Amino acid sequence: MGKAQYKVEGGKLIKVQLETEGTRVKKVKITGDFFLHPEELIEELEKGLEGATLYEQVLADRIEEFIKKNKAVILGGSPEDFARCIVMAGASDD
Amino acid sequence: MIEEWRLLDTGFHDAFYNMALDEAIAVARSKNLVSNTLRFFRWEPSAVSIGYFQGMEEEVDTSTCDARGIDYVRRRTGGGAVYHDRDGELTYSLIVNQKHRLISKDFQETYETLCSGLVRGLRLLGVQAEFKRINDIVVEGKKISGNAQTRRMNVVHQHGTVLLRVDPSLMFAVLKVPNEKIRDKLVKSVEERVTSLNRVLRRDIGFEELKEALTKGFEETFGIRLTEGTLIKFEEQTAATLKAEKYATREWNFKR
Repeated sequence: MGKAQYKVEGGKLIKVQLETEGTRVKKVKITGDFFLHPEELIEELEKGLEGATLYEQVLADRIEEFIKKNKAVILGGSPEDFARCIVMAGASDD
Repeated sequence: MIEEWRLLDTGFHDAFYNMALDEAIAVARSKNLVSNTLRFFRWEPSAVSIGYFQGMEEEVDTSTCDARGIDYVRRRTGGGAVYHDRDGELTYSLIVNQKHRLISKDFQETYETLCSGLVRGLRLLGVQAEFKRINDIVVEGKKISGNAQTRRMNVVHQHGTVLLRVDPSLMFAVLKVPNEKIRDKLVKSVEERVTSLNRVLRRDIGFEELKEALTKGFEETFGIRLTEGTLIKFEEQTAATLKAEKYATREWNFKR
């Protein structure tokens, strides 16, 4: 299992636990002191990232799309910040 | 006619009831059973609350908490882990209809607006408080108040803390503070990042004095009158249910 944490400058701390399958996300858990509205979307967001390739841009696009589709709001980090943290967790996985 | 809001002082309760009551008031507000509300409350026993998205085991040293009789609970709001000392902290909640003139679509703006009432209250005490993005109030750059917000059922709920005194050693004992965050702020200890009213004012400020100042600050800033009220039966019953079925359950508190 890969783990990473990333402190967004002027924002919040994002923590990721990641299981991979090859170069893809198998399972991801995103925790931290950020804000996502409405809150219960977090599980759906995590599910929505399963199967995605572990590239920052791919992940950021998926997150961005998810936010738009659900009219969600994130405070304390951008889709790119979350994507970066997931990629970092992937890189830490042996 | 000046707009009237309800003022509640619910005193000491355990963490699970405190969080349940916040939600119960929001539910009551959404059903128009009560008016917009400012609630003051405290924690007995002392407790740790974590943000909606945080991992309990990641943030809280639960065995130390158990040994010291400190409760731990997940909030319905995002944000960080907070140690709520029984004698060192006052907590407030604002529960406001989302259509109210003070509420912006923009979350950041709404934090700033709602926190401006606290800032004014603290300034009435002679504290040079300032709002700091995203959700903090600071004095001389040090945090004195943390705030968190959620909106559901067309109700905005913001709660937050004001520190009267800090015991950093106890804070460190119950919270697992992430190194990254401390490093980012280029400071070594919680003493350098956090301050309290007693330290700033160099005197022992009482809870009543603080509540009075904050009440006045909210009234002046929001253009409202706060009138002492009581909980309605619906809120009490809903809070009891939410405590038993949500906030006191392992399922909720350890869900992340």
